[in-house]
Amino acid sequence: MESLRTLAPYLKMHTRQYIIGLVAVIIANSVNLLPYYFIRLTIDGLTGQTDTDPNTAGLTLATAGLYALGIVLAALTAGGFMLLMRRMIVVASRQTEYEIRRDLFAHLQTLDKHYYDRAKTGDLMNRLTGDLSAVREMLGFGAWQIVNIVSGFVTAFAVMFGLSWQLTLIVIAILPIIVGVLFYLARQISKRHRLAQEQNSLIAAKAQENFSGARVVKGYAIEDREIADYKSMNLELLRRNIALTKVEGPLRSFASLLIGLAFGLILLVGGRLILSPTNDGSFTVGMFVQFVGTLERLAWPMLMVGWITGVTQRGLASWLRLREMMDARPLVHDDRNRTNTRIRDLLGDVAFENVSLNYGNARVLENIDLTIPAGTFLGITGPTGSGKTLLAQLITRSIDPTSGVVKMDGQDVRVIPLNTLRDAISIVPQEPFLFSDTIANNIGFGLGNRDLPRVPTGISVVGAPPTPDIPQKPDPARVRNAARLAGLDGDIEGFPNGYDTMLGERGVTLSGGQRQRTAVARALVREPRILILDDSLSAVDTETERKILDGLREISAGRTVIVIAHRVSTLRHADQIVVLEAGRIVEQGTHEGLLAAGGHYAELERLQSLATDLDDDDDAVATPDEAANLLETGRMSAPGLPTKEKEQVTK
Amino acid sequence: MTAPDQSGDAYQKGFDAQLTRRIFVYLKPYVPLVVAGVVLALLIAVAQPMFALIQRHAIDTYLVPFERDRTLSTENLYRGLMVAALGYMALKVVEFCLTYAFTLAIGYLGQNVLRDIRGDVFTKLQRLHLAFFDQNPVGRLITRVTSDVDAINQFITGGLVSLIQSSFLIVAYVIIMLRVNWKLALISFTVLPVLYFATNFFRARLRDAFRMTRTQQAIVNTKLNENITGMLTVQLFGRENRSALDFDQSNRSLLTANVNSVKWFSLFMPVVAVLGQVAVALVLYFASRNILGGNGVAAGAFTIGTLYAFVQWTQQLFQPIQDLADVFNNLQAAMASSERIFGVLDTKEEVSDKPDAKPLNNFEGSVSFEGVWFSYDQTVTADTPASDDRWILRGIDLHIQPGESVALVGATGAGKTSVTALVSRFYDVQGGAVKVDGVDVRDLAQYDLRRHVGVVLQDVFLFAGTIEGNLTLNNPDISHERVVEACQYVGVHDYILSLPEGYQTEVRERGATLSTGQKQLLAFARALIQNPDILLVLDEATANVDTETELRIQHALQKVMLGRTSIIIAHRLSTIEGCDRIVVMRKGRIVEQGSHRELLQKGGYYARLHRLQYAQGDAAD
Repeated sequence: MESLRTLAPYLKMHTRQYIIGLVAVIIANSVNLLPYYFIRLTIDGLTGQTDTDPNTAGLTLATAGLYALGIVLAALTAGGFMLLMRRMIVVASRQTEYEIRRDLFAHLQTLDKHYYDRAKTGDLMNRLTGDLSAVREMLGFGAWQIVNIVSGFVTAFAVMFGLSWQLTLIVIAILPIIVGVLFYLARQISKRHRLAQEQNSLIAAKAQENFSGARVVKGYAIEDREIADYKSMNLELLRRNIALTKVEGPLRSFASLLIGLAFGLILLVGGRLILSPTNDGSFTVGMFVQFVGTLERLAWPMLMVGWITGVTQRGLASWLRLREMMDARPLVHDDRNRTNTRIRDLLGDVAFENVSLNYGNARVLENIDLTIPAGTFLGITGPTGSGKTLLAQLITRSIDPTSGVVKMDGQDVRVIPLNTLRDAISIVPQEPFLFSDTIANNIGFGLGNRDLPRVPTGISVVGAPPTPDIPQKPDPARVRNAARLAGLDGDIEGFPNGYDTMLGERGVTLSGGQRQRTAVARALVREPRILILDDSLSAVDTETERKILDGLREISAGRTVIVIAHRVSTLRHADQIVVLEAGRIVEQGTHEGLLAAGGHYAELERLQSLATDLDDDDDAVATPDEAANLLETGRMSAPGLPTKEKEQVTK
Repeated sequence: MTAPDQSGDAYQKGFDAQLTRRIFVYLKPYVPLVVAGVVLALLIAVAQPMFALIQRHAIDTYLVPFERDRTLSTENLYRGLMVAALGYMALKVVEFCLTYAFTLAIGYLGQNVLRDIRGDVFTKLQRLHLAFFDQNPVGRLITRVTSDVDAINQFITGGLVSLIQSSFLIVAYVIIMLRVNWKLALISFTVLPVLYFATNFFRARLRDAFRMTRTQQAIVNTKLNENITGMLTVQLFGRENRSALDFDQSNRSLLTANVNSVKWFSLFMPVVAVLGQVAVALVLYFASRNILGGNGVAAGAFTIGTLYAFVQWTQQLFQPIQDLADVFNNLQAAMASSERIFGVLDTKEEVSDKPDAKPLNNFEGSVSFEGVWFSYDQTVTADTPASDDRWILRGIDLHIQPGESVALVGATGAGKTSVTALVSRFYDVQGGAVKVDGVDVRDLAQYDLRRHVGVVLQDVFLFAGTIEGNLTLNNPDISHERVVEACQYVGVHDYILSLPEGYQTEVRERGATLSTGQKQLLAFARALIQNPDILLVLDEATANVDTETELRIQHALQKVMLGRTSIIIAHRLSTIEGCDRIVVMRKGRIVEQGSHRELLQKGGYYARLHRLQYAQGDAAD
C-alpha cells in the first residue's frame, strides 16, 4: 500500500480520465447483460409464457423486431463505452508511462559517479523498460480489469439472483472452486513461463558467445563440444516449454470445462424448477436461457482473476524498484546553504590540501598536498591503481574527498556551483564515451548547452506544450580547429560525409586512437581553463601524440594542463611531475630533477628502456608495424631525420 | 556498411510454396504426431457444435412441451433431462481431454521442430568457414537461431495448425447449421464476410501501429542506454538540459505512437462485439418470424431450442473466422524468416574435410608454405593477375623447422595475419599449398589439424563458465593438475587462487573484471594446456599495461614458445629479436629473412625499419 501512496501523484494527474473510464466500464458491463434479457423475452413470448394462453404466441413480429433492435443497440452502447474506457484509461496509462520515464530520466541526470559506479547499466535499463511496462500494465489493463471483474460479477449476480436464487446459490457454491483452480493455473503459468524464458536467454547468450568467439572455437577445434552443449540446452528448453504448455495450453478449455460442468448442474436443478407440478410460470425456459447466458459472460472475468493478481503483484514490485531509483540521492550536489552562486569565473588554480579518500574501508589516497598554479603543466604517473585518475575526479568533483580540501582559486570546490566548475574543466578520459551522433556534434558536445529550457517534470503531459526542438549546431570553425589540434582533421576528411558522418552502429566505427583524438577535440573545443588528459593518448601512435602535445602547447598558454600518462616522453615537458604509489605522492619535481634523484621515476624510465631493448627513451619507439606503415605510406621523407625537420616535412 | 537486417519487416515477403515444402521436411520425423493432431482437431471440431445440439434437445423435448402443456408427467420429462444434462457434462469432459491431448501434441511437434531447426542451423554455423563470421555480424546470426526459428515455429503452430483447426471448426459449424435449418443458417452467415474483412482491416492497421511503436520504443531504449552509459560525460560537459530535451522528443514520439495503437485497438474490439450481437439479433428476428408465421410450434422446423442453438453457434463461429484472418499473416511472417534460415543452411562450406581426409597421429611440427597465393575475395582465382590489389599473399615460400620460432614483421596489410590463419586452415589458398609435416592441410581433417595448432590471441576470449572450464575449454580429459601446472608455469596461478572460488570462479561479463595483463596470461595458459605442436601468437600492441606486467607477459611468452614451432606477430622488439628467424613481409611477399643480426648486417628493409625506430628515439627531444 505504501507503493500505492507514492504512485498517487501520477494517478492524480489523470483523475478525470480514470473516473470517466471506470464509470464507462461499469455501464458497459451492465448494458452487456441486456441482449440475453431480450432473448429471454423473445423465447418466453414465443412459448406463450407472457400471456395467459400458452397455446398462442405472446408477442407480435413487431415486438420481436424491437427486441432484436434492442440487442443491437445494447451492443452498440456497450461497445461505445468500452471504446471510451480504453481511450481514457489505457491512454492515461501510456501517458503515465511517459511521465514516469521523463521524470526518471531527469532524476538520473542528477545522480553522480558514486551511484553509477554501483549501478549496472543493464539493471537500470531493465527497470526503465521491463519494470516500467509492468507498472503501466497495472495502471492500464490492471485498473480497468479489476473494475471490470468486480462490476461484471456484481451485475451478473444481481441479474442471476433476480432470476432464481436457487440456481445462484449453486453458482456461488461452485464459483470459488473454479476461480481457485484458474488462479492456481495462472500462478503455475507465470512460474513456468519464467523458467522457460530464463532458459531462452541462456541459449541466446550461448549462441552469442559462440559466434563472437568463432576464432577460438575453430582455433581449438571445439565445435563438436559446442554443438553438444547447445543441443542439450535446447532439450532443456523443450522440457520447460512442454511443462509450460501443460498448464498454459488447457487454460481456456479448462475454463470452458468448468463452466460446462456448472451448466450441467444448472440444467439439472433448473430443469427441476421448471419441470415441477407446482411451477406456476415463475421460472421459464426464457429465464433459464438468460441465466445460463449471463453465467457464460463470467467465464472471461474468472479467467482474468488469476491473471490480474499477477499483473498487480508484478506492477507493485516493479514500482518499488522504480522508487528505489527515484529515491537515490547523489553524494555530490549543489547545496543551498553551501554553494556560492556568485562564483562565475575561474582562473584554474588548483590545490590539494591534505586530501585523503576512502573507498569502502580501503584508503586509496593519503594526505595529498599538491599545488597546481594556473597556467602550468602537471604530469602524473604511477602504477595501475595508484590513484592517478582519482586525483582528476576530485578536481572535477566527480567525487568528494573523505578528508582535506580540494581548492580552486583558493575556494573549496564544494562551494563552487557544479555548473561553473565543470564549465571551466575539460577532461579526456582513458576510454572516452562517444555518442551515436555526427562527428561534429560529438566534438561540439560541450558547446551551446547554456540557457536551454528545462524539460518540466512532475506535471501531466495532458495539455503540456510540445518539447521545443533545438537542434545542436556547434560553430563549424571552432569544431574544425579543435579537430585540427587533436590531429583528427585528416581522418575526418576521409569519412564519407566529413564532419556530418554519423558515429556508431549506423555510421563509421572509429579506431581506438581516433576515439581518443575525438575526445581530445571535444575537450579542446570548449577552451577550458583546466584541461585534464587521463591516459588519453595510449592508443595514439607516438608521432601523432607528439603532434597533439605540440597542438596543446599552442593553445595552452594561460591554461592549466594536467596529464596522466605511463610514457615518460609524454611527461617530460611538464612543469612538475608527480609520481603516485598506493595513493601517496612519492616523488615530485621536474623531469631532469626526478631523473637526477634516481627514484621511482628514474626506475620507470630505465624499465621502459629495458622493455624495448633500446638505450634511448622507450616512448620514441614505434612498433615495427607503425614504422613499416610510415615507410609504406611515405608520410616521412626519409628515416632518421631529427623530429623538427621531420615535422616540417609532414606539415 | 552492410544492409540493415530486415527481420522487423518479415511479413513483407509473399507466400512461397517451395519454402513451405522445405519446412514440411522438418515435420517428417513426427508424422505420428501430425496425424494425431489432425485426427484430434477433427474430433474436437465435431464435438463443438454438439453442446448446443444437446441444449436444443433438452429445451425442445423436455422443457418447452411442459410449458405448453402443464399436464405432462414431470417425472418422465425430468428423467430425460437428467440424461441430457449428464450427457452434456460427459461430452464436456471428453472435449476437454481431446483439447488437452491436441495442445500437447502440437506443443511437442512445434518444440521438436524448433529444436531440430535450431540444432541444424547451429551445427551448420559451426561447420562454416571463418570468413562467414567476418562477413556476418553476430547480431544477425543470433537472429537466425532465435527470432527466425521462432517465426517458423509460429508458422507451424500458429499458421498451419490454426488453419487446419479453424477450417475444421468452420466446416463443422456450417454443416450442422445448414442441416438443422438452412435458411436461418444462411441468414446468420451474412455477417461472417463482414467480420472477416473487418478483422483483416483492423489487424493490418494494428500491425502498422505496433510496428511504429516498436520502432519508437527501440529509439527510446537506445537513447536511454546511451545516456546512462555516458551520463558522467554528459554531466562533465554540462549537457544535461540538451540531453533531456533530445530524450523528451523521442519519449513524446513513443507516447504518440502508443496512443495511436490504443486508438485502433479500442475500435477493433467493440466492432467485433457489435457484429456478434448483430448476428444474434438477425437470428432472433428471423427465427421469431418463422415461428410466428409458421403458425405456432407444431411445424417443428423452427423451435425454441433451434433458436437458442443458433444464437450459440453464431457466436461460436466467430472465433475460427477471426483466427483464419490471422493465419495468412502468420504464414507470411514465417516466409522471410525461413528464407533466411535456409539461406544459412544452403551456404557452401568453403573449407571442408575431404572424404578421405588423413588422420594425423605423430606430429613433428614443420610448416611449409609452397608458392602460396591467397586472397580473402572468393572471386579471385589462380588466373587473376599478380598486380590485382585483392591478392593478400603473392607466392609465399616459407619453410619452418619443427621447434623453430619465426617472427613476422611488416606493415599492416603485408599479410602477416593471413599467414597464421592459413596454418590453421581458416581459409583455403587459391594457389600453391600450405603443408604441415609435408602434408597439404587440405588433406587433413580440420579437427585433427587444429588440435595440434594453438592460437594465442591478444584478447583471450572468455566463455561463460568457470576459469578452469575456460582453460580446458570444457575438455573433460584434461586433469586439474595439468591446469595448475600450466598456470604456475606462466605465472597466473597465484592470481587465480586469490579469486573467491579459485579455479572454480565464474567468469562474469566475459572477464570484464580481469585486467589486460591477466587476460593475456590466461591466454598463454589456455594454449599451454591444449598442448599444441604449432603455436601461433598474435601479439598486438597493448595499451594500459604497466611496465612490470609487460615484462611478465614477455617472460611467459618466451616460456610458452620453448620447444614449439612458433609463428609470432609481435610488436615487442625484444620478442622479435629473440626469435630464431625474422621474416619481413611486404605487400604479400617475403622480402627478407634471417636472424636479427644477419638482417641488420644485410642493411635492407629490416635494417631500415630498425634504424627508423632508433631515429624516432633520437628525435624524442
